[in-house]
Amino acid sequence: MDELRKTFHSDLDEAKGELVRLAASVTELIPRATAVLLDGDLEGADYLIRSDDEIDARAMAIEEHCYRILALQAPVAIDLRQVISLLRMVAEVERSADLLCNICKAARRIYGHELDPKLRGIIARMGEQALQLYNAAIASFVENDAAKAAAIDDMDSFLDGLQKQFVQAIFESHAAGRIDLQVAVQLAVVARFYERIGDHAVTIGERVYFIVTGRQPEHKGEHSYRGGADNTASVPRLAPFIADDEPDR
Amino acid sequence: MGLLQRRTDRVPDLIEVEVREARAELLRLRAEVSRLQGALDSLPIGVVLVEEGGLVRTRNEAAKGFSGAGHGDILVLEAVDQHVQHALQGRVSGSSVELFGPPLKVIDVRAIPLRGGGALVAIEDVSERVRVDAVRTDFVANISHELKTPVGALAVLAETMIDEEDLEVVHRLATKAMHEALRAASSIDDLLELSRIELGGAALSEPVDVDQLLHDVAERLSESAEQHQIRIQREPVAQRLTAMGDRRQLVSALANLVDNAVKYSDAGGEVHLSASADGDRIAFVVRDHGIGIPARDLDRIFERFYRVDRARSRGTGGTGLGLAIVRHVASNHEGDVRVQSVEGEGSTFTMRAMAATA
Repeated sequence: MDELRKTFHSDLDEAKGELVRLAASVTELIPRATAVLLDGDLEGADYLIRSDDEIDARAMAIEEHCYRILALQAPVAIDLRQVISLLRMVAEVERSADLLCNICKAARRIYGHELDPKLRGIIARMGEQALQLYNAAIASFVENDAAKAAAIDDMDSFLDGLQKQFVQAIFESHAAGRIDLQVAVQLAVVARFYERIGDHAVTIGERVYFIVTGRQPEHKGEHSYRGGADNTASVPRLAPFIADDEPDR
Repeated sequence: MGLLQRRTDRVPDLIEVEVREARAELLRLRAEVSRLQGALDSLPIGVVLVEEGGLVRTRNEAAKGFSGAGHGDILVLEAVDQHVQHALQGRVSGSSVELFGPPLKVIDVRAIPLRGGGALVAIEDVSERVRVDAVRTDFVANISHELKTPVGALAVLAETMIDEEDLEVVHRLATKAMHEALRAASSIDDLLELSRIELGGAALSEPVDVDQLLHDVAERLSESAEQHQIRIQREPVAQRLTAMGDRRQLVSALANLVDNAVKYSDAGGEVHLSASADGDRIAFVVRDHGIGIPARDLDRIFERFYRVDRARSRGTGGTGLGLAIVRHVASNHEGDVRVQSVEGEGSTFTMRAMAATA
């Protein structure tokens, strides 16, 4: 029995290691995608977009590894929390890589358009902040550090602030005629990508917190829903999506 | 029977001797292992010894430095694992892990199979070597570009003028030729100045009044600042400060810093020039709210002919040598120069030079 558990734990450690390495690879892509955007580096954009296939394949392999563990080892307690969390986290990491690809695609769309230094400065800082958030998320997972994991949410508010600042700077730059509308829209979308990458890092931190403490992080919407703080009583309700007599799909 | 008794009596003594010798051998071996571990730990490169089954037998201090939870360390360890697998199958294996930074880091990972089984991995941070190589390669490319471009342009302009009869066109071409000639002359002047500073060191070592120095620098740049609609704000020096060194070199270095600040600030902006005591040095600070410098360029801007944005630098008329001059002047005055900058928010250059002793 002990031997069986030993194999199980080494299997679980292997899956964790794969996820940590995947997250490290995606973290390394953050400054690279930022440089692609700032330098208008088409070759770099192409390279990063193509490398996303490898990230997808690795994410899928980790997912399958987790399913195998669930099916063959039937983990319980902290082990079950770990496997479930690994499945959730791998999706966050994979999605972050997609967002970095989207930044590269935006770089292609605005190729040849000059960005003023203020916009460039905020993009650089959003990239740095996203990198820090991801590094903190990985470190909290590697070190099983619930306190570090809980701090990521607060760190993210700085990135959210930068996004707002950036949108303001886009308006100013567009109003001054330094960038056209198409570039302004692309940049606003880029800011949203960075902000989402930060959110994914926060979610990874929340999963780490759950693994270590067994407590689900408090989701504000879910909390207020359960607390019955429903201020939408006067809003007309939609019909149920699946009618009672609808056949199974 | 007596002989057997005598021999039996000696057994404990013999065992004691054996044990004592074994203990001494053990201590000697421990000391040897400790010496070897000490030697391994003193190596600047990371060394990891892996047993046949893949278990890490030992690793030195430098290798332990790569065991953090940061993404860079994780990627290095991933490369180590991968090459160990190859080496355990009897193949020499290696690669470089490039971490974008900034600053850029390049870590070489090499694994070799050992004769008696197992593998040895070497992890080496070659970032500095890569940086120096890039500086050397870029310097050759940049200097040939800076000097050949105006000369090439002069040749083409002269050739066009030979066959041109329209005086107006000839005038326009001659103006362009003059501009290119001035540009080449300016590059050569700066190169000569840099070489003088590099070779000559601090030719003079005299007390230099800091307040007067700042005044002279501000005066020298006042016309250029006016043209760019920039205000040079000279902050009053709190106490009487005296630097020790070559006045001409100090003026040249500070003028270069202020000139850059003026060129890369938006019209209507301000450039602050100040000085204060910093231990046995004087810290000269030039601060602007201009376009700033990208983080990845910060550690390269003091190289000769290095340009952050070639197109923009050309427009401002710089030669690409100004900051290299500043660095040499600071070094000649037993000081240094540092920069802090955020793109879009501005830059602060701090040059330190030796203060005169009271």
